[in-house]
Amino acid sequence: MRNPLTILRQRLAAHREVRADGGTATEAGSILDRDSVRSAPFWLPPFLLIGLFIYGAIIWNIILSLTDFQGLGSPDYSALDFENYVIAFTGGTPSWSSLTVDPVWNAAWNTVVLMVSFSVVCLAVGLVMAILVDQGIRFENTFRTIYLLPMSLSFVVTAKFWLYMYNVETGLVNLILGGVGVGPIEIVQNPDLKLAAVAFALIWQFSGYAMIVYLAGLRAIPTSHFEAARVDGASTIRMYWRVIIPQLRTATVSALVVLTVFSLKAFDFLFSMYGGYQPGPSADILATRMVREAYANGNWAYGSAIAVLLFIMALAIVAPYIYTQYQRGEL
Amino acid sequence: MSEHQPNVSRRTVLTTTSAAAVAGLAGCSGGGGGGDDGGDSPSNELELLHAWSSGDGNAAIAALIEGFQEEHPDVEFAEEPVDGAARSNLDQVVLNKLQANDPPSTFQTWPGKTLEKFDGAYEDIEGDVWDDDLKENYLTGPQEQAQYNGSYVTVPLNIHRINNLFYNTAVLDDAGVDPESLSSPSDVVDACATIDENTDAVPFAQQTSGAWSTVQLWETILLGQAGIDGYEAFINGDGDTAAVESALQSVVDLREYYPSDSSSISFTEANTMVMDGDAAFIHQGDWAAGAYSNEDGFNYGDDWGQVTYPGTSGSYLLNMDSFPYLANNPSPEATRQFLSYCGSAEGQVLFNAEKGSIPPRSDADVSSLNSFQQDQYEDFNAADNQPPSIQHGLAVAPGVSTNISSAFSGFLESYNVSGTAESLVNAFN
Repeated sequence: MRNPLTILRQRLAAHREVRADGGTATEAGSILDRDSVRSAPFWLPPFLLIGLFIYGAIIWNIILSLTDFQGLGSPDYSALDFENYVIAFTGGTPSWSSLTVDPVWNAAWNTVVLMVSFSVVCLAVGLVMAILVDQGIRFENTFRTIYLLPMSLSFVVTAKFWLYMYNVETGLVNLILGGVGVGPIEIVQNPDLKLAAVAFALIWQFSGYAMIVYLAGLRAIPTSHFEAARVDGASTIRMYWRVIIPQLRTATVSALVVLTVFSLKAFDFLFSMYGGYQPGPSADILATRMVREAYANGNWAYGSAIAVLLFIMALAIVAPYIYTQYQRGEL
Repeated sequence: MSEHQPNVSRRTVLTTTSAAAVAGLAGCSGGGGGGDDGGDSPSNELELLHAWSSGDGNAAIAALIEGFQEEHPDVEFAEEPVDGAARSNLDQVVLNKLQANDPPSTFQTWPGKTLEKFDGAYEDIEGDVWDDDLKENYLTGPQEQAQYNGSYVTVPLNIHRINNLFYNTAVLDDAGVDPESLSSPSDVVDACATIDENTDAVPFAQQTSGAWSTVQLWETILLGQAGIDGYEAFINGDGDTAAVESALQSVVDLREYYPSDSSSISFTEANTMVMDGDAAFIHQGDWAAGAYSNEDGFNYGDDWGQVTYPGTSGSYLLNMDSFPYLANNPSPEATRQFLSYCGSAEGQVLFNAEKGSIPPRSDADVSSLNSFQQDQYEDFNAADNQPPSIQHGLAVAPGVSTNISSAFSGFLESYNVSGTAESLVNAFN
């Protein structure tokens, strides 16, 4: 209904009808008279700027990843090949370096694990909180604010905060574990728990966001749906499972996209927590690997290749969302 | 068509659009042109980029510049501290400027193999800056680090020593440990065991959330166990795996005496443990001593002391800052004057009095430095060799350095000695 393309098409059609009524208008002279052309001053500058700085930069990055650009100087665009991608997948000594380069599988796998575990748990926690807050409890706004507050913190603050929380001696996490007779457990540098610890901290930070999105979704569902389910004798769990949650599909998808993108940006968090872009093999993600290659080693082309892989991963998440939105006419 | 009002506005719109486009283009080209100013006409304004934006570093660079300007009042400074931890942002800023062909006059950098990062951007300053005076008065170690591919391109300004073992006197007295009696890295482990037995203090304060402290510790132990020859073999890429493993094993042995929450604390917190008497030893560069001298009632000799890390006597493990001369320099004459001043004993004393490090020149009058610095300076002049630090970028090229850090970030997870040793030896391939 609200598809701007449709509206534009209708407008253009209506416009032509009026011209046809006028009788004397010539189609040939009207190209400058079109709405799209006449509105150009409004849409063209942002279109060009976004085209140049977003899409232009992405395309440039892709081309850069095909070069052998390394160190100072300027890239040589005359010899493009897929060497960097071969190196990224299989490792080995590339032509532009005397050092062996490891493949990116470890970082890629960690990225996927972090992305999936973080997004799924975050959504689940957010949904439960939204349903609880939606029960018409007292101080609803207060709770909502409390849950959402962590999101207003920067990754740097969260990372330092959780470094303290995970402290073996004085951290709250280990105090609680100690209270139930477990531990103390080394968390920050424990290869088995590192990534989980990072995911947990991110979930703490962003489940409030998932809650807000779900809460908006829940509020949009007419009360009659709840009442109808009740009248039909559905239990609370059954009502939510069969009637309410299926209607939250759009909310889920839009929250998922945002959360996934956040998980790809976990770089800041790792950088602050481990004091640099060396979080260790069990928490190394593509973003840290990319910065290491590009800025520590000056392997610009190889860094670009990793960036392209990261971009493809992000696209794989976002594209289906955009496509379904488009199909449903919501774009 | 004539009845349509938009006809008029269309022309207006087109005019406006093209005017805007022209203005936009002019804006772009105007921005790009700004960079040329420096290259064409030599200026007396020195563009100095550094990361000493606060604390002792900031006071030190201010003292250096003030001293320089007294001698050269005609030289102005476009001094720009670049914020950011451990110079990584600074390197990025310099890199962007170099790629835009708009180099600064000079910038703060580690000398040695770190220079490889901006390969081709430096210019030889042998003769005018690196004259006979500098060559006579810099010891071999720092002098080698000032060269890149055999030519002198940078002027080391200060030296922080890496192979120190700091201790809290009261804690060691309680434990009955005499630091002067330790003579090998394994003696440190034994001393830690004694401290652990006899006191409540943490024997060896160390942070393990980041890898750098452990790399430093390992390189010091490697130097102590394998000697200068074994150390140099490693940094030249011919490391002996057994020697590397042995040093790593020594780190693993020490690990038992770390604070239990070492992975959650920073260097500052670890160092504070020593100041508070909660820890006995800390291995660090001598910036650790800077914190001690700022603490009232915590005095050198009485409350804390320092020994050369056991096993490394005769070596002064170097971490230096330096100012290189960049080719296509925006202020050639002023930069040379400034670098010469950085190479003078006077400038170095002014700088290091604030920074807490020591002058790289062997003829400096260090009476204005504190007694700890004077002792360090004495050690420095008496040292048989001055090997470059691995962690602090002097000894290995940036790519190798990244590989070594990666190996240690894995080591901190698993403490796998043989696997890490293999990665370290292979870091050069």
